[in-house]
Amino acid sequence: MLEILIYGAVSSAIYAMLAVGFTLIFGVARILNLAHGAFYALGAYAAYVFTSLLHWPLFIAAPLAVLSVALFGVLMERFLVRPLRYSQLAVLMITLSVSLAVEQGLFITFGSEYRNVPSFVAEKVSIGGVDIGGQRLLALIAGVLVLLLLWLFIQRTRLGAAILAVSQDPEAAQYMGIPTNRIFSVVMAISAGTAALAGVLVSPFLTVQPTMGLLPMVKAFAIVIVGGLGSIPGSILAALLLGYSETIVAYLISSSWTELVSLVAVVITLMIKPSGLLGRRAAF
Amino acid sequence: MKPFLKWLAAASILGLGISTQTALAQQPIRIGVPTAIQLQVGRDTQNAAKLAADEINAKGGVLGRKLEIVVADETENPEQGIAAIKKLTADDKADVLIGGYTSGVTLAQLPHISRAKTIYIGVGAASPAITAKVKGDYDNYKYIFRAFPINAAHQARALVDFINGKLKDDMKFTKIAIVGENAKWVQDLVPILKKGAIDGGSEVKLAEFFDTSTADFSPLFAKVKDSGAQYLIVILSHASSDVFVKQWHDAQVPIPIGGIDVKSQDADFFSRVGGKANSETVGMFAIRAPLTPKTIPFWDEFVKRYGTAPVYTGIGAYDAVYVYADAVARAKSTEADAVIKELEKTDHVGIAGKMVFDELHDVKTGPGLQNLLFVQWQPNGERVVVWPKEAATGKMIAPPWMSN
Amino acid sequence: MKQLSIVDLSGAIAVVALLALAPVLLNSNYFTGVLTVCVIYAIWAASWDFMSGLTGRENFGHSLFIGAGAYTAGFLATVWYANPWYSLPTAVVVAVAFSLIVGFPTLRLRGPYFALAMLSASAIMQRLCLIFWEYSGGEEGLYGLDPLIQSPLHYYWFVLAVLVAAVAILTALAQSHWGLLLRAIRGDEATCQAAGINVTFYKIASLTISAAFAGLGGALYAHYQLQVSPPLFSVVVSITVIIMVYVGGIGSIYGPALGAIMLTLLTELLRSFGEYRLWVYTLTLMLILFFLPNGLIAPLWRRLTERFR
Repeated sequence: MLEILIYGAVSSAIYAMLAVGFTLIFGVARILNLAHGAFYALGAYAAYVFTSLLHWPLFIAAPLAVLSVALFGVLMERFLVRPLRYSQLAVLMITLSVSLAVEQGLFITFGSEYRNVPSFVAEKVSIGGVDIGGQRLLALIAGVLVLLLLWLFIQRTRLGAAILAVSQDPEAAQYMGIPTNRIFSVVMAISAGTAALAGVLVSPFLTVQPTMGLLPMVKAFAIVIVGGLGSIPGSILAALLLGYSETIVAYLISSSWTELVSLVAVVITLMIKPSGLLGRRAAF
Repeated sequence: MKPFLKWLAAASILGLGISTQTALAQQPIRIGVPTAIQLQVGRDTQNAAKLAADEINAKGGVLGRKLEIVVADETENPEQGIAAIKKLTADDKADVLIGGYTSGVTLAQLPHISRAKTIYIGVGAASPAITAKVKGDYDNYKYIFRAFPINAAHQARALVDFINGKLKDDMKFTKIAIVGENAKWVQDLVPILKKGAIDGGSEVKLAEFFDTSTADFSPLFAKVKDSGAQYLIVILSHASSDVFVKQWHDAQVPIPIGGIDVKSQDADFFSRVGGKANSETVGMFAIRAPLTPKTIPFWDEFVKRYGTAPVYTGIGAYDAVYVYADAVARAKSTEADAVIKELEKTDHVGIAGKMVFDELHDVKTGPGLQNLLFVQWQPNGERVVVWPKEAATGKMIAPPWMSN
Repeated sequence: MKQLSIVDLSGAIAVVALLALAPVLLNSNYFTGVLTVCVIYAIWAASWDFMSGLTGRENFGHSLFIGAGAYTAGFLATVWYANPWYSLPTAVVVAVAFSLIVGFPTLRLRGPYFALAMLSASAIMQRLCLIFWEYSGGEEGLYGLDPLIQSPLHYYWFVLAVLVAAVAILTALAQSHWGLLLRAIRGDEATCQAAGINVTFYKIASLTISAAFAGLGGALYAHYQLQVSPPLFSVVVSITVIIMVYVGGIGSIYGPALGAIMLTLLTELLRSFGEYRLWVYTLTLMLILFFLPNGLIAPLWRRLTERFR
């Protein structure tokens, strides 16, 4: 029982980190970013390059990995996505091609082999008889912290208020003198940065491989739909829901059924309450 | 033009004194290599085939003709796999195909190979279904051979031998759990394994499949631990061995692991997972040891040329090129039917053992033939053979967190 | 809608003649095979465009219908040993049934929601194929299908004829009163509803037609590859089709068909690039997206023939 509780929390935290960035950029800039998984993969690869190849200390390598991916996200938004924003399908296609290009670029540079990132925390921790790798616990704690900071940032700062304003009505916000384009850049940086952080944190216990971004992105997508597109609390709630359901299914039925959980959740959500758990926007 | 060349070749073989000079002007024998070129298994297939072809060419080729390698990317997707076969047979006019990795892709390619009437020697895929049709529909499927590795059913029997001989008798582990990826060759293998272990007197506490895309094995490990198993048999190839081993190590699961784990056969596996494979036992088709007189020279030459130790497909591809070249030399032609007759008579000392085909054109296993060796990763990345007994080079150790 | 002009008709005849003669001129079995795959993708792209291009509801799960058609052919051949020709009509029926099952709950959704619902539906089918491997053949899928026509060249011509018929039927429908309504729904669904148009009926019907051709293409594909496997249901197939439609020019039906042929040929031609192949392909795609936002083929054709109209 306790095992389900702990492992479910770790999966949920990672899912939440991925989903929040995804929902944020959609809620604010209406960008359905199919390159979100690429950010996650790039974060993990950056961590690999900085720690395993360049042997930089962790406290430099990890933030630098996150920052460089955030910069990549900002550049992508500015030069590839912004000119195509008039059409939703064009945005979908360009972000899709960015993700394909990143995946192929990683293939060519690093090959298809799995890459190893050393654990940040090597110790094993025992909680009430449940053994858990220290790295997982770190991912859980970091995930919760980041989400908390993000919430404070949006609720308590001027920039956060501007982000909220743009998400509610971009045109009105612009009339009020809020530079919407600059807000988009900031949000893209946050979105890419959180995805990359998730990638950095999981890289030691998952694996670093060119196609690693696809599945997490599909999960993020599913979570965001279940939680309501554009709603941050919704996606956190949905991340918990899916993280725990998957863990429970893996324990009670079989690991081969876990991948079905999120897909079925999406279909049920869309049939019963398409706007998601906490979404306000009408889906039809 | 062609009949003329044939006549000329015949003349030169008859010893009219113009042998090699004229023959060099002949068309090379083309070896098509359909494989997943983005993966290590694919790169090693190509490299080893090139190595063998270069060696044979250096000695004058076959029937005075040089060997030439043509590669096509079959990826891990059946559509691309079929396109690769069509390209090699129809466009590149390959005389033989040597390659393969994913069983699903190879199975999809079979009817297309048969329609192209081109000999195919598999060196990567293990599903018994691949050669199953050779007997039932010989005329259409006689082109299919498997030189490597021994098929999944043979592997299962070798693993049963390991479970009963090593785990039960030597180590006194009678309760085992079996986990494997959800793929055809594993589905073929697990029932044999389960039956063999139970018949041998062991208890199978848990048998579970997981998805090849599984990224989090912790629920699985917890289940295995709860089942009360003393040893965990793992069977995977396409799923991530790296993740599996790392998570096993990080959670310090108090159960030793071993089995058939294709990616952990790689020479760099130990360093790739940061040493976390310590104490994992892996079924291997060959290692750098005097299995046959050819093993060590091949191994060292391969490492010298390509910088890494070969994975199993490389060993298979190297042998397959030799086996084919010998068959052509004996048949004195590259004509498929004649070569098939000779291939069926193959009795070749290869890298991993003697290579002989059964009536399904599948490579035989047994003492002196190709075998599965159980090799344990030990501290500092050393590889120690622990089973079969006669090949053992050391003792089996427990995971570091269980040894005190 | 404007009627089919002489210019368009002669253009179409020229392209079809070129496609029909190309394998004879090049006389290579390999190339005939490549073209067969091209033409099957063209059927998928055209069928996608009929529903999604006209109504503006991007279907990210077209592979559901493709896979359903292909697996129908697979089951008929390997479980019931039926005459291979039965698989074409049966595949159509099964794909239509699938479209009705997923269409009713999902088609009321808008934009990304519909896209995602369809994507999930196809991904669920792929998973189910893997989980129930005892029945579906699992990862390996089903193999041992018989070809419909033995000669690869004749089969290619047959598939090409199907494509021509499909494009003709879909274009005729798109230019009829019906197509006009679908485009109107794209523009403003609420107004259409207010005007007394049975919006749901038209949307479902167009999805059904789209699925029918996709399923037919799936069966043709299965009898060409002689096997079916779970990747047919994958998102990658749907996305590939959408990219082809995009490059061809959304909403024009002939454009996506030609886009599919062009891109499939391009992937084969790039084989010599080895592992750089997919990278080059992706970059080409990005350039097209960026500099030709309305696609390449349909706008180009309109431009070229402007002065003859």
